[in-house]
Amino acid sequence: MGNKKINKVADGITENLFEFAEFDESEAQRAGYSNYSYWRSTWQVFIKNRVAFFCLILMIVLVTFTIIQPYLPNQKLPTKIYIDEKTNMQLRNHPPDAEFWFGTNSIGQDLWSRIWSGTRTSLLIGLAVAIWEAVVGIAVGALWGYVRALDRPITEIYNVLDNIPVTIVLILMTYILRPSMTTMIIAMCITGWLAMARFVRNLIVIIRDREYNLASKCLGTPTSRIITKNLLPYLVSVIMLRMALAIPAAIGYEVFLTYIGLGLPVSIPSLGNLINEGRALMMVPSLRYQLIFPAIVLSMITISFYVMGNAFADAADPRNHV
Amino acid sequence: MEDSKVILSVKDLVVKFKLRGRILTAIREASLDLYEGESLAIVGESGSGKSVFTKTFMGLLDANGWVDSGSIMFEGQDLAKYKTENDWIKIRGKKIAMVFQDPMTSLNPLKTIGKQVQEAVELHQGLKKEEAKKAVIEILRDVGISEPERRYKQYPHEFSGGMRQRVVIAIAVACKPRILICDEPTTALDVTIQAQILNLLKRLKDKYNLTTIYITHDLGVVANVADRIAVMYAGDIIEIGKCEEVFYNPQHPYTWALLSSLPQLGIKGKPLHSIKGTPPNLFYDIKGDAFAPRNPKALKIDFVEKPPYFTVSPTHKAKTWLLDPRAPKVEPPESIAILRKQWGLNKDE
Amino acid sequence: MLKYSLKRLAQSLVTLFIIVTIVFLLMRLMPEEGYFGQAYEKLDEAQREAILAGMGLRDPIHIQLMNFYKSLLSGDLGISNIYRPKVPISEILKAKIPYSLYFGLTAVGISLIFGVSLGIIMARSKSKIWDKLGTGYIVFINAVPAAVYYLFIQLYLTDIFKIPMLFKPDDPASWILPAISMSLGGTASYAMWMRRYMVDELNKDYVRLARAKGLRNKAIMVKHVFRNAFVPMAQYLPSTILYTIAGSIYIESLYSIPGMGGLLVDVIQRQDNTVVQALVLIYSSIGIIGLFLGDILMALFDPRINLHKKGGAR
Repeated sequence: MGNKKINKVADGITENLFEFAEFDESEAQRAGYSNYSYWRSTWQVFIKNRVAFFCLILMIVLVTFTIIQPYLPNQKLPTKIYIDEKTNMQLRNHPPDAEFWFGTNSIGQDLWSRIWSGTRTSLLIGLAVAIWEAVVGIAVGALWGYVRALDRPITEIYNVLDNIPVTIVLILMTYILRPSMTTMIIAMCITGWLAMARFVRNLIVIIRDREYNLASKCLGTPTSRIITKNLLPYLVSVIMLRMALAIPAAIGYEVFLTYIGLGLPVSIPSLGNLINEGRALMMVPSLRYQLIFPAIVLSMITISFYVMGNAFADAADPRNHV
Repeated sequence: MEDSKVILSVKDLVVKFKLRGRILTAIREASLDLYEGESLAIVGESGSGKSVFTKTFMGLLDANGWVDSGSIMFEGQDLAKYKTENDWIKIRGKKIAMVFQDPMTSLNPLKTIGKQVQEAVELHQGLKKEEAKKAVIEILRDVGISEPERRYKQYPHEFSGGMRQRVVIAIAVACKPRILICDEPTTALDVTIQAQILNLLKRLKDKYNLTTIYITHDLGVVANVADRIAVMYAGDIIEIGKCEEVFYNPQHPYTWALLSSLPQLGIKGKPLHSIKGTPPNLFYDIKGDAFAPRNPKALKIDFVEKPPYFTVSPTHKAKTWLLDPRAPKVEPPESIAILRKQWGLNKDE
Repeated sequence: MLKYSLKRLAQSLVTLFIIVTIVFLLMRLMPEEGYFGQAYEKLDEAQREAILAGMGLRDPIHIQLMNFYKSLLSGDLGISNIYRPKVPISEILKAKIPYSLYFGLTAVGISLIFGVSLGIIMARSKSKIWDKLGTGYIVFINAVPAAVYYLFIQLYLTDIFKIPMLFKPDDPASWILPAISMSLGGTASYAMWMRRYMVDELNKDYVRLARAKGLRNKAIMVKHVFRNAFVPMAQYLPSTILYTIAGSIYIESLYSIPGMGGLLVDVIQRQDNTVVQALVLIYSSIGIIGLFLGDILMALFDPRINLHKKGGAR
């Protein structure tokens, strides 16, 4: 062992290689350099998930479409009842054709426009609830997690509230306040913020005591920077996840309440209403389209948001970053 | 020690990992001869590859890692070629055992420690139930756990950190392996407990004639327990020799830097010595000596060609071009001389 | 262990008390037509007041509360005014509970068995075919509102399997679809959590040690991983029960099963306040009992749990 390699090596080596090389301090650092950016990596991991990316595109297209749909040419009003010129009677249960792309419902309204109008309504409800959840949930969660004095009392309150089945509360509230769009939003908001608050609180408790935050403080990092660089990225991903999941949840509850009879009045089309109306007719095979179309649109929306939410949460986890 | 036989011989081992689509070379042609009955310490920074290196001896690499080339000769078999569970079952626990760093998480929190030790005993000693239980109690007593019959029924969370580590050691030693690998066994423990655990390991080594490998970044531990010391950097063993040789006569610039960074060399009021820069990115191929970019005394050839081992003494060798006869004479930094004096003073035992 | 159970029991009772009181108070806000039904129109102000006062609804709140608890403790849940006028609610419920109970327990049982099994299979075949299929199933169940897929199941599967659409007590075939439908949500839930917990455990240090000991993979899976992963599952028992309750509300009306869920839909539509109140109370209690059971089960399996610390995150 030992110097046996020296002869072989000597062949390609000249004497001057044994001189000192220039020492470049920046070279020493370069090996460890990386141009890592948290949000860029999150986005990259997200789009690598092709299913989630597809859902994102789908949702962007769908939402844009629901917004511009009323302004497109040849669109009909969702509540207008169409009369058959020949018989002068309501155009009931007309199957899909060139004029009524999704057909008409049992009182002669155009299903195509009703579905998009319903989608708008349902998305609006979902969005309103999601935003409320975010605002109140974060506020309560932050206080709950940060202010140690509040931890016990709020935890006790949470335990009590958590035990009440959400569906029961929803039923109660809509029953008492009588169904309407506002009632529905209020009821879902009252039950929805709890989960978000819990998530935010758990995260804050974990992060608050993490050593890297203490270390940052020791280094003299201003609190605002600790919040934006250390805490916020953690929170944002969870918040976006919850918000993304809030939309299918809201739609689900809306369908549930409509089913029980506590949903929106029939004059406001919503996905829940449409499904219910379709359900009434499902025994008749030829009329099933009235159930299938809204169901498909609804499923697309809920599945997409669910998948996107989860994919984003996975992507935001630094352990999955390249 | 030169007369002892070699029980494990690693030659030019290359270990790679697939990480998020890219390939990382964790071990770059490392070689090592392990002598029977010795106590070897492997030191190096985090990320130098110490743990990965020893995991290959037991097939404990993560699922995304593999041995790319090289050989690990043990009892006439090349462990680098082992692929299936059936192959490794013959080695793990029976011939080669490992003690992990964190005793808190190494034990199953939902099983009594008695059962966990018994699992190992039943597996390797072929004893059943009652006899196994007796053996377990004996082992527990051996590693210094008092009232073993009572402790047998207790759960890990009822033990202190030091006790838990004793249990883990008990599991490892239960089957009288030939080689015991201790991966930073005391890093997670209090300083006072550290000494106890190290003494326990020494005692067990003598009693069962084990060959031990200590992985550590704590040079204090090394001085306490090791016969030989191997210095790892960027996946390669760049210097290896008897403890006194490496401490008193280090040859590789990295070893100099490592020893210079010891806090006891610090002078009050002056900044501590630290090595500039960071270890190299192992996703890229490294040309020449891996430590060159951080070495102020690097030679041009260090960036061109990887140095082979140069012999300093029959038991001491280092991979540095500075030992080549054509290289200029470079003195180790002043701190080494200071260290020698410090240790020289304390070497009265 | 005993001490823990007793303490939890006391906590549950307190929570129950609080919830019942809250529900009771909320109920006072119910529209008053709900006490009269058809008669509402026919009576004038004075008569309505008289009847309400007779029901005790005009007494000061704390008196109402006390009376309420008194009657509760003696088993009196009140009288229905609209659904079955003058009939004590407990009577009505007696006939309905067996159906709900049967379907509910069956659904929870099916969810447990299939869900846990699916979760294990998914963890073992991580990222391979079973994992992908299972994930697809879970996504579907979680995203699409239950109402929708329940409908489609009723619609299409009854055709395919020639099962009657509506429930008949004496026709065993008609018991199948409702029970299975009710268990879908719980199955997805258990599968998801089981898979997650097993994958988590597989990454833990003690699994590495077990492997270093020389244990075979199979033995590690069975003796260590599965058992450890199953422990936090116990806490999902209550949410499964809650889920099943919610599901039962749909399923019972879809299939015309004469259970409590269907009753709830009915009385809501008919605005029979007292019955609504009674049902809400019962469902809340079930939820709390479920949570209590879940905690006790967890404590049974996990020796680390005591009064002050809870193993595993909720």
